[in-house]
Amino acid sequence: MTAFIIRRLLWTIPVLLLVILLTFVLMRQIEGNPFRRTSRAVSPAVQQNLERKFNLDEPWYVQYALYVKGVFTFDLGPSLVTRDRTVNDIIKEHFPKSLELGLLAFVWAIALGIPMGVVAALRQNTAYDYTLMFISNVGYAVPSFLVATLLIYYVSLKAGLLPTNGWEGWKYKILPSFALGLLPMAYFARLVRGSMLETLQQDYVRTAKAKGLRRRRIVMVHVLRNSLIPAVTAMAPLLGFIITGTFVIEIIFSIPGIGRYFVTAISSRDYSVVMGITVLTSVIIILANLVVDILYGILDPRTRDART
Amino acid sequence: MSADPREAYASGTALPDVVTGAAAPGAGAPLQQANLWRDAWRRYLQNKGAVIAGGIFVAFVLFCVIWPIVSPYDITNDPLNFSEAYETPSLQHPLGTDKLGKDMLTKLALGGRISIAIGVGATLMILLIGVVYGSIAGFAGGVLDNIQMRLLDALYGLPYLPFAIIVLAIIGENNIWTMVIALSIASWFTAARIVRGQIITLKENDYIRAAKAVGARWYRILTRHLLPNTLGVLIIAIFLELPGVILGEAFLSFIGLGISPPDASLGSMAQEGREVYRVHPYVIAIPSIAIAMLVLCANFIADGMRDALDPRTRETKEH
Repeated sequence: MTAFIIRRLLWTIPVLLLVILLTFVLMRQIEGNPFRRTSRAVSPAVQQNLERKFNLDEPWYVQYALYVKGVFTFDLGPSLVTRDRTVNDIIKEHFPKSLELGLLAFVWAIALGIPMGVVAALRQNTAYDYTLMFISNVGYAVPSFLVATLLIYYVSLKAGLLPTNGWEGWKYKILPSFALGLLPMAYFARLVRGSMLETLQQDYVRTAKAKGLRRRRIVMVHVLRNSLIPAVTAMAPLLGFIITGTFVIEIIFSIPGIGRYFVTAISSRDYSVVMGITVLTSVIIILANLVVDILYGILDPRTRDART
Repeated sequence: MSADPREAYASGTALPDVVTGAAAPGAGAPLQQANLWRDAWRRYLQNKGAVIAGGIFVAFVLFCVIWPIVSPYDITNDPLNFSEAYETPSLQHPLGTDKLGKDMLTKLALGGRISIAIGVGATLMILLIGVVYGSIAGFAGGVLDNIQMRLLDALYGLPYLPFAIIVLAIIGENNIWTMVIALSIASWFTAARIVRGQIITLKENDYIRAAKAVGARWYRILTRHLLPNTLGVLIIAIFLELPGVILGEAFLSFIGLGISPPDASLGSMAQEGREVYRVHPYVIAIPSIAIAMLVLCANFIADGMRDALDPRTRETKEH
């Protein structure tokens, strides 16, 4: 097990370097250096100083090495547009809000999605099952911006129950996190239902039944535990969905999170911020994959050899 | 294996060999030659949800293609008519009008054309990259396969949106082609896994060994025996990738980074609707419901195709 974890950890380093390189190369292709605007007359000396400050006078591989060093020492450099702030400042200010939004969305998804899947599986092919699976199919298909807009329209504007936008108290957090959590909820519901049905067919469940265990105990101890393993592995890809979702949800609810900032940074050509945020989200995903793989190795020892 | 094709697909599990899988039902009728596609079609028709979804999908595509031609309204050339802005549905305008007094039904068809074009284009691009990457890994095996797969493991789940936005900023132009590139650049990982898994499963078959034994070259084995047999999986994959791409395009358009005006996709229509949702909520609802419908139908079609092309999973599902 230790060897498995070490191998997996070591493998993460080249992947991180590659993803940073990919982002770095992509970012260099964008036309329009913020310091080379023709409208702003800058003396050659100032231009040179600016380039030196942002290491733009170095060859690309030196810039890349400096950037990698920055990532590993948690210093993503200065913002190109907001003079007195670094990318770290911006991330520190906006990221916690996105993180909270994402975590709350996961809470909705787990709290509703897993019970939905369990009920649907235990009452397979009944009205419960069909209704829950219908809800989950719809939740999987409806774009989150429609859900968010409808929630604002009916809950906030018509009923006046919750605020329409902002991110101040718990009241502000209910609607956005629910709108964001709908897709992972639908995903969990389907996943848990499928894996419950599969587990219910297993020999050890039949043995437990034959032993005369009560149904509640069979479900709780033997079926549910084993059925939740796929839900654990689904966490990493769902995190990707959630990060994508925050871009849209933060804009709709005017939440000052990192996704909304990313979109403004792209239009103001604040490339160091764009790159910092992209690298940050990629690192989160890569680390989540790492954690999930290790967890999976612990939960289901059969997979250890198959995955490095 | 999970009963749901989406989960199996997302986790990169290959489907069992479609050829041997489909041969089983033909065994009961020895005189009639078993035909994979005919059997699959018959099984698909037995799945009511998939048939209805397929019907709606085809009907919507036809509507998008035909309606703008026969519609009495010409969205680009008709004069603006602000006195008819935001009209509620009527006989003249079954879905009402937008802020410029244009017919929403015709606009929906035009938006649908663009969304579907981008969706299909990006899906095909994803599959193309997936086939190339996956068949190299699956066919070569060994160290190359190992490196390629570990890379995919690590990239798995990487959010496509930041990369799509950066790619659009690089190209600096937002038309159908650039949207296709932006949406496929960080979305092909799953498709590659699927193809690789399928190739590896197929490689173990006796007919591949037989082909090798009679001296077939590697490229002949790959193009004649392996790739054609991944077709079933790829057809299912089209309908599994399509929803994500359509939603991705809608998200990009909705945050204002989509296709440039005057062209409008369903996502950009939704963005227009967002400006006025407090007063006219149907303007955002109409294109969003169309998106949801396309996604839902594609999911059901994928379910049906999976059952049709791979009868073994169907049996476990019915227990």
